[in-house]
Amino acid sequence: MVAATPTSYTDKVAVTSEIAEFSPDVVEEMRSHLAKYPADRTRSALIPLLFVIQRERGWIDNPGVNFLANFLNLEVTDIWETATFYSMFNLRPVGRHHIQICKTLSCKIMGEPEITEHVCSKLGIHPGGTTDDGKFTVSLVECLGSCGTAPMMQIGFDFHEDLTIEKVDKILADCN
Amino acid sequence: MEIKAIGCEPLSLKRVQIENGHTLKVYRDTGGYKSLEKAFGMSQDSIIQEVKDSSLRGRGGAGFPTGMKWSFVPRDSPKPKFIVCNADESEPGSFKDRYLLQYDPHSLIEGMIIAGFTLGASTGYIYYRGEYNYLIDVMDEALNEAREAGLLGNNILGSGFSMDIHTHTGAGAYICGEETALLSSLEGYRGHPRMKPPFPAVEGLYGCPTVINNVETLTSIPQIIEMGGIAWRDLGTEKSGGTKLWSISGHVKKPGVYELPMGYADMEKFIMEDCGGMLRSDKKLKAVIPGGSSVYIMNAGQILGQGVTLDYEGLVEAGSMLGTGGMMVMDETVDIMETTKNLTEFYKHESCGWCTPCREGTDWLVKIFDRISSGGGKPSDAQLLLDICDNIEGKSFCPLGDAAAWPIQSAIKQFPDDFKKWLSVKTNGNGSHANN
Amino acid sequence: MSNESIKVTINGKEIETAKGAVLIDVCRENAENIPSFCYYKDLEPQASCRMCLVRIDKMPKLQTSCTIKCTDGMVVTTQSPEIEKAQRSMGEFLLANHPLDCPVCDRGGECELQEVIFDWGDVEERFTEKKNKAPEKYLSPIVANDPQRCILCKRCTRVCSEWMGEDAIEAGNRGASTVIGTYGGWLNCSQCGNCIEVCPTGTLLDAVYRHETRPWELDQTITTDVYGSDGMQLSIGSRAGEVHRIVARDRYVNGLNGEFLDVKARFAHEFINHKDRIKTPMIRYSKGGKLIPATWDAAIKHVAEKLSAHGSNVAVVVSPRLTNESIAALGLFARDAVKTENIAISDRQSMAAFFENLSAPLATHNDIRYAQTIVLIGGDAEEEQTYTAKQIRQAVRNGGAKLIVVNDTPIRLSSKASVFIHADISTVDAFALTLADPGNDSAAAEKLGVDAGLLGEVRNALIETQGDVIIMCGSDLSADAQAVIAASAGSIAGDGRRVLLHPLPLYNNSVGAIDMLGNTGSEEMVIEKAKAVYVAGSLQDPELLQGKDFVVVQELFETETTEYADVVLPAASFAEVDGTFTNNAGNVQRVRKSIEPVHQAKPDWMIARSIAAEMGVDLDFEPSASTLFKMIADSVPGYGGLRYPALKDESAPVQAKHDVGPRDISSYAGALQKWVEELGDDSQKNFEPPVIGHKLHRLTTMTSKTPQFHLLANGNPKPENLLVAPLAQFELSGEPKQELAAAVRVGDRE
Ligand SMILES: Cc1cc2nc3c(=O)[nH]c(=O)nc-3n(C[C@H](O)[C@H](O)[C@H](O)COP(=O)(O)O)c2cc1C
Ligand code: SF4
Ligand code: FES
Repeated sequence: MVAATPTSYTDKVAVTSEIAEFSPDVVEEMRSHLAKYPADRTRSALIPLLFVIQRERGWIDNPGVNFLANFLNLEVTDIWETATFYSMFNLRPVGRHHIQICKTLSCKIMGEPEITEHVCSKLGIHPGGTTDDGKFTVSLVECLGSCGTAPMMQIGFDFHEDLTIEKVDKILADCN
Repeated sequence: MEIKAIGCEPLSLKRVQIENGHTLKVYRDTGGYKSLEKAFGMSQDSIIQEVKDSSLRGRGGAGFPTGMKWSFVPRDSPKPKFIVCNADESEPGSFKDRYLLQYDPHSLIEGMIIAGFTLGASTGYIYYRGEYNYLIDVMDEALNEAREAGLLGNNILGSGFSMDIHTHTGAGAYICGEETALLSSLEGYRGHPRMKPPFPAVEGLYGCPTVINNVETLTSIPQIIEMGGIAWRDLGTEKSGGTKLWSISGHVKKPGVYELPMGYADMEKFIMEDCGGMLRSDKKLKAVIPGGSSVYIMNAGQILGQGVTLDYEGLVEAGSMLGTGGMMVMDETVDIMETTKNLTEFYKHESCGWCTPCREGTDWLVKIFDRISSGGGKPSDAQLLLDICDNIEGKSFCPLGDAAAWPIQSAIKQFPDDFKKWLSVKTNGNGSHANN
Repeated sequence: MSNESIKVTINGKEIETAKGAVLIDVCRENAENIPSFCYYKDLEPQASCRMCLVRIDKMPKLQTSCTIKCTDGMVVTTQSPEIEKAQRSMGEFLLANHPLDCPVCDRGGECELQEVIFDWGDVEERFTEKKNKAPEKYLSPIVANDPQRCILCKRCTRVCSEWMGEDAIEAGNRGASTVIGTYGGWLNCSQCGNCIEVCPTGTLLDAVYRHETRPWELDQTITTDVYGSDGMQLSIGSRAGEVHRIVARDRYVNGLNGEFLDVKARFAHEFINHKDRIKTPMIRYSKGGKLIPATWDAAIKHVAEKLSAHGSNVAVVVSPRLTNESIAALGLFARDAVKTENIAISDRQSMAAFFENLSAPLATHNDIRYAQTIVLIGGDAEEEQTYTAKQIRQAVRNGGAKLIVVNDTPIRLSSKASVFIHADISTVDAFALTLADPGNDSAAAEKLGVDAGLLGEVRNALIETQGDVIIMCGSDLSADAQAVIAASAGSIAGDGRRVLLHPLPLYNNSVGAIDMLGNTGSEEMVIEKAKAVYVAGSLQDPELLQGKDFVVVQELFETETTEYADVVLPAASFAEVDGTFTNNAGNVQRVRKSIEPVHQAKPDWMIARSIAAEMGVDLDFEPSASTLFKMIADSVPGYGGLRYPALKDESAPVQAKHDVGPRDISSYAGALQKWVEELGDDSQKNFEPPVIGHKLHRLTTMTSKTPQFHLLANGNPKPENLLVAPLAQFELSGEPKQELAAAVRVGDRE
């Protein structure tokens, strides 16, 4: 199970001074997040902004972290301590489609093991792994609040519920 | 998946079922924002009184009386005050808030404005669990509608009261549902719980008075203002007022979100009839976790023919808790050692790591379960598991530690045979289990 | 905490204490021991280790005594089967994933975890599963890290944030995989090592000392830091005449500086036993010739003859690094033996003018910690007086003090300031004028390049303060500015408001040197006038010795100064002598001999005494540091009545009584006014915040002897492989060692 990215990985990041650049719209979007919080509490925007970085750059990379450090006037390690706490942030590259299969009780007893088995063998990877073409990463995650429509998985932010093998095949086929 | 009210008119589910219930227009056509206007005509104290009369108890799991929580806020404090909606819904087995957020955002907004008006808060935040990101657009849309209609912003409906509400996202951490951890997270830090006291009502977000309520709690507020606290309470029982949303999952024919009056009788009827009975008719009911993963697991004997009423008191009497009302039903094909292992893995993964007993305890427990499930169980393990749980329970920094201990303690108590069979047998070479 | 007194009952004993006192402290003060790991007095509470559980009547669960504030009538039980089970179980949890490799752990014998477990005895190990693994690694050339030993008490992250204001080390990941570390795995910070000091286990380790000895083999000698003017107390660990490590005075007791030290005080001690120490006296028989080793007798005879020959045409220059005893002795040597007043202290930034004009008492470091308002004028405390900087930071962060920073550089502390007077480059002196007379505000503001209203704001902040106002003065200010600041402070005092002064001199004994010799001329002035020069230590500007007939230098190492020397005499370092230093709070603190002088080195005072004797003058003091100090006490005003025994308890520092009184500043103020008017007027501002360590990591005669400092001075490059000692991967220049860099692979560790 990939929880927070192992620090044995972030230890290897070569911390450079390179700062990521974003289109005006994206910067505008970031500002709109800042606007939600008191002027002296900009750190509140850290998590929403990390999602923007992850969406724009595919993962929380060093230039992205440097950008946030400047943008929010924080130390890079302040960003690291927060980012590594939350399981949805990837501090290493993941596939374009991040398949997160719920493995918690209701999904488990409603057929998660078969779904996981099917997805993994189809993609030829183990949970936590990424396909060689960098297209898919499969993770097993904890309850996503779809117990009534188990089994389920989340790809990116999209929920796919009441899964059957056939459904999964269709969903994977639609990923490009 | 079913969404329906049983034994009462749909209140919380009123708009969840109707077309475009999430739009301002439909919301208003169905009586939306009337309660807000009414509230503006009332005094803060009388609003709090109505909420107290309703005997509404927090729907986030702790069941703390909402009226009392509100009355703790130092309304005369010069500091700004905040209303925070806990939409982190991460408790395994619960998924009710999700449908309210998706199909009835305005009743949450209305509830938050009333709370804000009552407590003098001019800012509100809705904290979504990161995995619910896809729901945020719906709410942002609704918030914009409300702003344009003058329901948010300056001088709302000419009342002289001003307030705005913002959405905020977590990023995958069950602990951030715990109110003080939620605040740490909302401030951009690691989601570690904070010391209480001071309680959030006094020193919460940014050190200012803050009321944190669950989605369902806040959406109940307009109902209470509309029909009056006493009337709302009388939908349910003396001690557990109003109606409650239940999330049903697992081995039933009709899983879903059901709205029941508090005190609904009884649990057996609910599972066996209302929810369509067991998924596989030939399989018997074995176990139910009635209130989300953090409560005691019940065996069939505690339910069938016991006349368990569905409310806070009834479930305590029956040997469990109402929690979040996330009911997980299991038939006889399920091995309780394995489900307990599954939940323990959840708590290990979600332990924030702040305090020793929860961090190290859950890690140890999972290692023991791994050994047991790969055939290495020892007779002494049951005692060891129980003692580790005892060393976590009541000694952890926040209730997650307790929540990790309870499922194990109750499972070993209610399903001794499921453990015995793992703890006495030898493995057959390949590590897989001899008798299955 | 209020001073209202209340009663609590602990294990049946009724105890008086202050309302709001922290329960765990009260218990300990009353000999009720309670184990704890995360609790650390004077850091924000954390309550995460759950080790300090106690039972309090009328409370449902066991409570953490580190978070409980005492209330009247509270009834507490700290010992019972229930409590022992709870505490033992926490110990068991902590040991679960903790490698039991105590025999090879540098913290063995000093480990708090080991201690707690040992105290209980009969601990049954029920954890038989696989332990979580993580490799030992380096976080910097100076900090080694074994993550598996971590118990996550987070003292390290709290000192880094609360003491240092650096937030360089934090917790990452969560749950059982939580680790202490940094983004990129490399610590770029001031390398103070306080995280190592406060770590209760062997998780963060001193990489300079690593695996050299077992702690219990070391003789611990408590003495005073030889670098900064804060006079931090520390403990030298030596074995068989060799210094192996320095730690704060006492791992568990709060003295003057508790466990706080900085990178130089804690790590830059390798010079003491360094191979380049001067081993014997040396004589250069003819100018341009080589220095030839000689016996002490020959050298002393030679020096005595030459000096006598020059009569009083001799200058004596003394380093402010020497002990009070040696400085006083060299003073006597100059006056009685050489018979000259031609004597100077080689202090680049002397604060004599400041001390001549004290109108308010000196602040102690404890006063700073609890001050209400602090005015920091000039200086670079974070790099030069690190402990003062820490006290300022905590006064603001944990004590809510108001900080006013006046500086022409945005030093880090300025971000914590409620008022930052960002002066134009090198115009800080002008601020002194406003203290002297509000009338000067507009002129001063103009020169400083700030809004005059700001200066008024500062004045109001000062006179509105209830409690202590502390005015700090950097040694980079001109003598006149220093004098004016020292002289005008007194007038700010009022009822309910005490005003204290805190100078920021550069050297460990800058203050003592002034106390011993007064306001001497500069080294230029005195050397100028002389044909022969006697130097104890080295000069700021060695070139001054160009073309002198005869030069004697007492030193630890050959330096630019010794290149001009006709005779070089091996002096003993602070670790090899007894004596005293006086710090920037006026605390007179003991320097204690930890090892015998290396090779043929002798204490500076002893050398001076022998030469005088050879010149036929008896500097009549017995050859011992303590009699020298008695003589000082009898002659130096402010040291009256002091004796070594009175300085024994280094946790209760003794303050010299500097002469304080109303001062007439007219003359200085006038001079200052002119000086300020003549200051450059290009009104340039510097917006570059200084790099952390820009002074601390500088290579000097002493720091350069600790190899790790070369890597720090060269930008602290991150090595290829964090598992291998950085010194094995880099040349001292910071260049990667080719063969190794090639050899180590980074891939091999998930
Ligand atoms: C480990 C833990 C997880 C929790 N998760 C949630 C949650 O996901 N949603 C929620 O509303 N309350 C959650 N709670 C309860 C909150 O701490 C808090 O009691 C609640 O949000 C208060 O709102 P209420 O009074 O309306 O229930 C959690 C508590 C704990 C200890
Ligand atoms: S019990 Fe302790 S470790 Fe577990 S979640 Fe709460 S604070 Fe974190
Ligand atoms: S010392 Fe109290 S919990 Fe750690």
